[in-house]
Amino acid sequence: MARLGFRDRLRVPTYGDPEQIQPGEVAFDRDKCSGCGICAQACPAKAILFEDKRPRLKPPSQNECIACGDCVAICPEGAIRVVKGYHYTGFYKTIDHGDIQPPRL
Amino acid sequence: MVEKTKGAAQAEAVEALRQNWTETERVILSRRSVRLYRKEQVPEFMVRRILEAGRFAPSAGNSQPWKFVVLRDPELIEGITRTVVDICKKMTGIIEYRRAGASWRRPLVKGFIRLRPNELHPTPFSAMGMIADGRLGLWHGAPTVILIFKDVRGVSNPDLDCGIAGQNMVLAAHSMGLGTCWVGFAKLAFEYTDQWKKRLGIEYPYRFASSLSVGWPVGKPDGMVGRQTHPVDWYENGQKKTLY
Repeated sequence: MARLGFRDRLRVPTYGDPEQIQPGEVAFDRDKCSGCGICAQACPAKAILFEDKRPRLKPPSQNECIACGDCVAICPEGAIRVVKGYHYTGFYKTIDHGDIQPPRL
Repeated sequence: MVEKTKGAAQAEAVEALRQNWTETERVILSRRSVRLYRKEQVPEFMVRRILEAGRFAPSAGNSQPWKFVVLRDPELIEGITRTVVDICKKMTGIIEYRRAGASWRRPLVKGFIRLRPNELHPTPFSAMGMIADGRLGLWHGAPTVILIFKDVRGVSNPDLDCGIAGQNMVLAAHSMGLGTCWVGFAKLAFEYTDQWKKRLGIEYPYRFASSLSVGWPVGKPDGMVGRQTHPVDWYENGQKKTLY
């Protein structure tokens, strides 16, 4: 498991640089999507572009997805999945995060 | 004989747990932060029940170091929102180094970030810009807002106790089919200006802790989703294992 080293702590990452502040990612199932657009409305990070009745994630330099899953939960068709958590570096280095898993019984 | 029956009943209950979530777990696991609300007001008795869930929260030494303020007047909700938007605009104007021509501010702002690492974490940093230009609401149009103030004289850690009481209220609200969202940004209207403290009569020993938006959600925002696992160190029988 990654640790927060002394050199990490010294460096504040540059916000908006996808090398240093890697956003979360969600995947859309094109076949299931009905094109209602509620995912883009619900996204707190405004990371979903909704054009031509199709949602897609903004490009990495503009995507600020926090992998909260609000879009996943609100999608009436079950067409969205969180595939990657956010990953920050330097002072805000993401540590102690494992795979994406649903609630486990 | 009685013991045996008790044991059998417990085994049965445990077996049932293996197969199904409890009602409480379902509410906890399905709760999502709701940022799309219908305009229709929440019945007063439901808000009072939510407040009861807060009142019965555990707190250090049973000190109950909180004060809840319910806002249901659009004039107040919109007024505080305007104040927060104005402060976000001013702060964004100073610290946003990602716009064209502002990159010279970057080292300076990184210094500020070191001084205020929680408030200027990447997530609120971006949210501040989104609130400033109207892409993100404060309480998202919710018709009811619960402000949580802490009694700074509370036992040990009053912020934590306010968080516990707040989450009790959130879970009670979701169990009733309502939506909620934790909104810390309202702090700007209570810590960076006196105007709203005066208007609402908030004075020492009370300080803003956090706030909740409460309302009927648009669509069905609650549901179980995937989320990162975290390593949990587990010590037992003289050995350590790490679970995810």
